[in-house]
Amino acid sequence: MDASNLSIREINSLFTKKELKPSELYSKVFENAANSEAALHAHLTLFEEENIKKAAESDKRFSNGESTSLLDGIPIAIKDNINIKNYKTTCSSKMLSNYTSPYDATVIEKLKEQNTLFTGKTNLDEFAMGSSTENSAFGLTKNPWNTDYVPGGSSGGSAASVGARSSIAALGSDTGGSIRQPASFCGLVGFKPTYGTVSRFGLVAFASSLDQIGPITKTVDDSRIIFSSISGEDSRDATSVINNQLDIPSDNTATIGVIKELMEDGISDEAKNEVNKVVEILKSKGYKVKEISIPIIKLSISIYYLIAPAECSANLARFDGVRYGLRVDGNTSYEMMENTRAEGFGAEVKRRILLGTYALSAGYYDEYYGKALQARKEMIDEFAKTFKDIDYLISPTTPTQAFKSGEKTSNPLEMYMSDLCTIPANLAGLPAISIPTGLSKDELPLGVQVMSKPLSDNSLLDFSEIIENEVQFDGQPKGWL
Amino acid sequence: MSNEFNIKNIAKLASINLSEEEQDSLSNDLSIILEHVNALSDLKLNSQQQEIFIHPLEKELELQEDEVVESLTHDEAISNAPESKDGKFVVPPSME
Repeated sequence: MDASNLSIREINSLFTKKELKPSELYSKVFENAANSEAALHAHLTLFEEENIKKAAESDKRFSNGESTSLLDGIPIAIKDNINIKNYKTTCSSKMLSNYTSPYDATVIEKLKEQNTLFTGKTNLDEFAMGSSTENSAFGLTKNPWNTDYVPGGSSGGSAASVGARSSIAALGSDTGGSIRQPASFCGLVGFKPTYGTVSRFGLVAFASSLDQIGPITKTVDDSRIIFSSISGEDSRDATSVINNQLDIPSDNTATIGVIKELMEDGISDEAKNEVNKVVEILKSKGYKVKEISIPIIKLSISIYYLIAPAECSANLARFDGVRYGLRVDGNTSYEMMENTRAEGFGAEVKRRILLGTYALSAGYYDEYYGKALQARKEMIDEFAKTFKDIDYLISPTTPTQAFKSGEKTSNPLEMYMSDLCTIPANLAGLPAISIPTGLSKDELPLGVQVMSKPLSDNSLLDFSEIIENEVQFDGQPKGWL
Repeated sequence: MSNEFNIKNIAKLASINLSEEEQDSLSNDLSIILEHVNALSDLKLNSQQQEIFIHPLEKELELQEDEVVESLTHDEAISNAPESKDGKFVVPPSME
C-alpha cells in the first residue's frame, strides 16, 4: 500500500507503530510531485529542502514515543493566499509576485503547533476569483483525472495536489465554493466551515463577509482532524466566533431536505443522479427525506455578484504600489497607483473591482449593494426557517462534472453559474461539505453537497462520514504514483 | 435597475488605468453581468425594515480594548516596500 494514499489517522498509526517514518512519507509526496507537477502545475512553490530537518524532528518524536498530535509529520499543502512567515504569498497575481510574508496566518500558527509539515504553496485563480484556476498569472493547473479538464477553482492547485498525492491534505479558501467545487471536480472531500469558526487572519482578503478557510482532503475524517486543529476564536479576526458546536443527530432520526431549486434546470442529469443515489441510500437506512423549496436560492448568483465584488473592490484598494507589491512608475502618486493597478491585476480581478466600484458608487449603492444585502438577509432567514424542520440539506455540489480548459473563459457569466449550488452556504454563513460519490460517463468525479445550520460543523462531518461509508467511493486519478 | 454606466468614470474611481481595448471588453462584460443581477429588482422583500448585519451569523462586531499587543516590527512592516528611505515609504509627489 502506498502511504500517500492513506488517511491521516492511518498514517499516524503507522508512525506510532514505527512502521513508517514522517521523513519517508515526506520524500514520497515529493516523489509524487516530481511525477505530476510538469503535467498538472498544482504548486507555485515546493518547500522540500527547507523542511527535511523538520521531518527528521518528527521522526525523532515518534521514535521516542513523544508525539501527541495526529498532524505531526503530515505533509500539507497551503493555498497561496494564506501567509506563511518568510515565504512568498503571491495570490497568483503579478501584483504580489515578490511579496514575502513577515507573519504567519493564524491557521499556519496552529498547524505549526501541531508539527505539520508544509509541502508548498498551491496555485489559485488570482486573488481567489474564479472557478477553474485559469485566472492565475503563473499558468493553469490541470485536473489530475484528465488533464484536458480544469481542476475547478479557485483552490484548484490545492485539489490537484491532494488528487495527485503530492500532499496528504491541503488548505483552501472558500468565498463562493472555492473549496467544495475543486474538491468535487477532483474526487475529494472539501469542507467549508461555518463562517467565523476559522480565523481569517493572514488570509489575503477577497470578500470578508464570505471568505472562509477550510480543508481539502481524501476523507471526511481528515477534514474533521484539520478543522478541529485550525478552528477557534481569534482576537485578530473581528468576525471570528466562539466555536460552540451544536449537537444535532446524524443517525437515522435526522431529517434530510433535498433542495428543489438545485435539482432543476441548469443542473445536469448526472449531477442529479448522484443526489438521488445518496437519497435512496439514506431512505434505505431509515432517514426521513423531504423535498424542500427555498425560492430565493435562485437569486444566489445575483446577490453574490453584487456583494462579493463590492467587498473585493474595497479590500483590493490596498494594492496601490505604496507599501508592498508591484509598483509601476508614474509622474504623481495617483498616476503611479493607476499604472500599478493596470499592470498588476488580471482581467477577472479588474472585472470584479469595476463591478464592485459601480455597485458601491453614488446613486447606485441602494439600488445594487443595499438591495443585495437585504436579499442576503432574506436568504439567511429562509435557511433558518428551513432548519427548524430539517437537519441536513442535500444538493449537487456543482451543476456538472469538471469542464474543459478554455471552455468558459470567454463567458464570465457562464463561469459564475458553475458556483450556483455552493454560493448559498457562503451567503448564509452555513457549514457545507462536498463528498465524492461517483464518476460521470467521461470518468470524471461527481460530488454531493451537504449543508447544515451554523455551528453544527461536527454533526455535519459525522453525517457526511455515514454517507461516505455507504457510498464507498474509492476512485483516484491514475498515473501519478 | 439602471445599467447606464460610464466605464471611464468607474475605472477612475477604481484607480485602474484601462486601455481602449479593455474599456470595450469590460463594458461588454459588465453589461451582461448587470443584466443578470437585475433579477434582484423583481424581488419582493420581507426584510425591508429589518436591520441588516454584515456578519452572516449576525454577530455584532465589537471594538477591541485599546491595549498594546505584539505586532509587526517597523522593519518587518516596511520589508516589502517598493521604495523606502530612513524607515519610511517613498512615493512620487502627490501634486505636480
